[in-house]
Amino acid sequence: MTTLERLAISRLSHRFGFGPRPGEFNRLLSLGLPKVQELLLTKPQFDIFADNQPLPNVYDAGRRPPNTSDQLGNYLLDKRAQFQTLLFWWLDRMVISDHGLTERMTWFWHGHWATSYTKVDDALPMFNQNQTLRQHALGNFAAMSKAMVNDGALIYWLDGQLNTSRAPNENLSRELMELFVLGVNRYSENDVRETAKALTGYKVNKTSGAVSFNPRQHHNASITFLGTTGKYDANSLSDYLVTRDDCALFIAERLWYRFISSAHPVTGINQQSVFQSREIAPLIKAIGTSSAITDPKHAMVKSPVDWFVSICRAFSIKPSNYQNLPQLRTGLVALGQLPFQPPNVGGWPVDQAWLSAAAAHNRISFTTALLREANLAPITDLRDSERIGALADWLGVYQWSDRTLLAFAGARKDPARLALLAVNAPEYLVNA
Amino acid sequence: MDTITRRKFLQVFGAGAAGAVATSLTIEDIAQAAMDRPLPLGTPILVVVTLYGGNDGLNTLVPVNDPIYQAMRPGIAYSPDQVLPLAEDLYLNGAMDGLFSFWQKNQVAIVRGVGYPNPDRSHFTSMAIWQSATLAAVKTGWLGRWIETQPRDPLLAISLGSVLPPLLAGANGFGSVLPLGGLRIPTGAVGNDCRRISAPSTSDNELQALAAQTMRDLFTVSSDITPILRGPAPAAPDLPTSIGGNAGGETNLSQQLDVVAKLIAAGAPTRVWSASLGGFDTHADGKDSQSVLLDVVSDGITRFMAQLKSTQRSQDVVVLVYSEFGRRVRANASEGTDHGTSGPVFVIGEKVKGGFYGDQPSLANLKNDDLTVTTDFRDVYATILEKVLQTPAERVLGNWRGRIPLL
Repeated sequence: MTTLERLAISRLSHRFGFGPRPGEFNRLLSLGLPKVQELLLTKPQFDIFADNQPLPNVYDAGRRPPNTSDQLGNYLLDKRAQFQTLLFWWLDRMVISDHGLTERMTWFWHGHWATSYTKVDDALPMFNQNQTLRQHALGNFAAMSKAMVNDGALIYWLDGQLNTSRAPNENLSRELMELFVLGVNRYSENDVRETAKALTGYKVNKTSGAVSFNPRQHHNASITFLGTTGKYDANSLSDYLVTRDDCALFIAERLWYRFISSAHPVTGINQQSVFQSREIAPLIKAIGTSSAITDPKHAMVKSPVDWFVSICRAFSIKPSNYQNLPQLRTGLVALGQLPFQPPNVGGWPVDQAWLSAAAAHNRISFTTALLREANLAPITDLRDSERIGALADWLGVYQWSDRTLLAFAGARKDPARLALLAVNAPEYLVNA
Repeated sequence: MDTITRRKFLQVFGAGAAGAVATSLTIEDIAQAAMDRPLPLGTPILVVVTLYGGNDGLNTLVPVNDPIYQAMRPGIAYSPDQVLPLAEDLYLNGAMDGLFSFWQKNQVAIVRGVGYPNPDRSHFTSMAIWQSATLAAVKTGWLGRWIETQPRDPLLAISLGSVLPPLLAGANGFGSVLPLGGLRIPTGAVGNDCRRISAPSTSDNELQALAAQTMRDLFTVSSDITPILRGPAPAAPDLPTSIGGNAGGETNLSQQLDVVAKLIAAGAPTRVWSASLGGFDTHADGKDSQSVLLDVVSDGITRFMAQLKSTQRSQDVVVLVYSEFGRRVRANASEGTDHGTSGPVFVIGEKVKGGFYGDQPSLANLKNDDLTVTTDFRDVYATILEKVLQTPAERVLGNWRGRIPLL
């Protein structure tokens, strides 16, 4: 095992999954890099833990009772409970999955098609979107894009239900090209106006997320954009945009940005040929097997959710079983990242944005709380003298600095103190 | 080239500057500096308020009697009794009554039709242009470049919130960020442990070094300083209590400005402050949601200016309010508006020469259904650089000629 292989395996485990459970990293190390790439970058036939997770109890909450109704309070409490159920269902799934790639990709696509509950305000449409993203997470991007332009939560989030032939609303058409399929400046302002017309006439039932089509509000005449003229609706528009060469460039760029580096451009991958069929799995495999995976310059900061989930996996904490669920939620909010609530349609920031004195402080408090329910057997079962040596393999860390080892040395008699230090150390926070 | 532009911007937009080390300050840091080396009285102070999302300029500075305005904006046009009269048959949004009172005192300059050539309607690209003051691909913030002309001082320019806006990021010099609410420093064994794991290490990569440094920042200030900021904000004697300006109704912007007011009052050696408010992307239900936000802006600034009244620095402060673009003239079917072009910029302060500057874009002469740009935003910046920051504009904006006589 060379050190570069260890670096690559640490990256594959944390970036293409959510970090190792106890014992997992040692097993990966014993396989060697090529087999680890094959294993972690290929979706398995089944996932015993994820497949057996019951679906969350979210349902159509129905219309809001009037302000004068005595049912209003219960209605609002019920909606709040549904959102909490959905939130912890997904966090659980990230933690319990046997194979990390599907949930990691679902998480990536959530940040890509970034839709927020703060506006959608109903759990069922958010859950349906989440299932759609999971279904297509490693499938075909053309199918994903078509499913998403028909997704109730996304349409509602970007005002698509208000977009009619009489006066088009450009919010969805612009973001579809800028942020979802092509990338900024790969279309003209006129293209935004024209493609908005293709997206007219779609209606959303807000509480269920069901989408219907009203042909009378649809722009039923030819439009001209990006070198084509004809009658378009959401499906044919999505299909056309996805075939553009810019789509291959853009999706590869976005994956690279989240999995390899936000500072260096895509290198060593032929986006057009790897993504020719718009199949996502070969593209992610190409990225995970490219030479970049062993290039030391590609460090990445764990986002708050990445950090939290990787700790839960290492500490054997199932989020929904945690005694104080509001505390978990508050902890993530304080760190600036709650699933289903991206800050805007551009998704969450990366790297340096997560590093500040305030964040360091919040992580320390959060870890202190998590330690109350952590299973630290991987180090408590060892003799004092063996604990420090076991930390890196337990947590999947590439290597500790002398500075951090020195800090560990003072804490080796106390497993909880060691664990707190380890997950707050720069070497854990930043995946080398 | 396009991808680089976007990537660069996202990097800056989301993450401080590319590779930048944004110092995160604690309130104690600034309080200590305010005591050790207070800003000399009379030093001009700039407060930049960024409205994210694209503020609808036509419903901020309203041509309410223009028949084209009424015709093109069914459902979202104001009626004459809903707006406040300024001059030249232009009216201020009725939610901005606080700002209106400063207009009446000649302390508000409104620059009309502000934008740049070939407006870009992407939030991200257009905000990058406004914050960098350049149409070129490589982006540094205009105030970041100003910071680079000054002696190095992490307290020189401060942004409220946890993320450094590109505005304050130069290539080599950066503003600092101040998270709202301040921080409690870990003590005892945990505190000692955290000091140890955040010590500098030669084996850290750039991001690990930043992780260590930001944690170290927690401990850099001695904990026995009496924090000026834990006390109440300066009193605001000008505010009538009936509008509740002194009590409750906190919004994030007024919280930010409260902290700024306290720190200015305390004598912080800071010459540029950056605050912001989001939510202006009013594609639907534009009229109501925008007026709620404008109310927040106007009230926040009114309260801020009133708080400064009780200090010796009220004459020193200039507030600049801008957004990345205006909105389309014609309403969409959702009683909202889509991304547009130019909009008004507000400059507020006791030393400001109140009134209108630049021409109001004509509704009879639209370009591609959008307002024309009558004033380049760099004219405003050049004026601010010279009159507020007392720095030759050339050092930040190159050979930019335009100026506006508003100070």
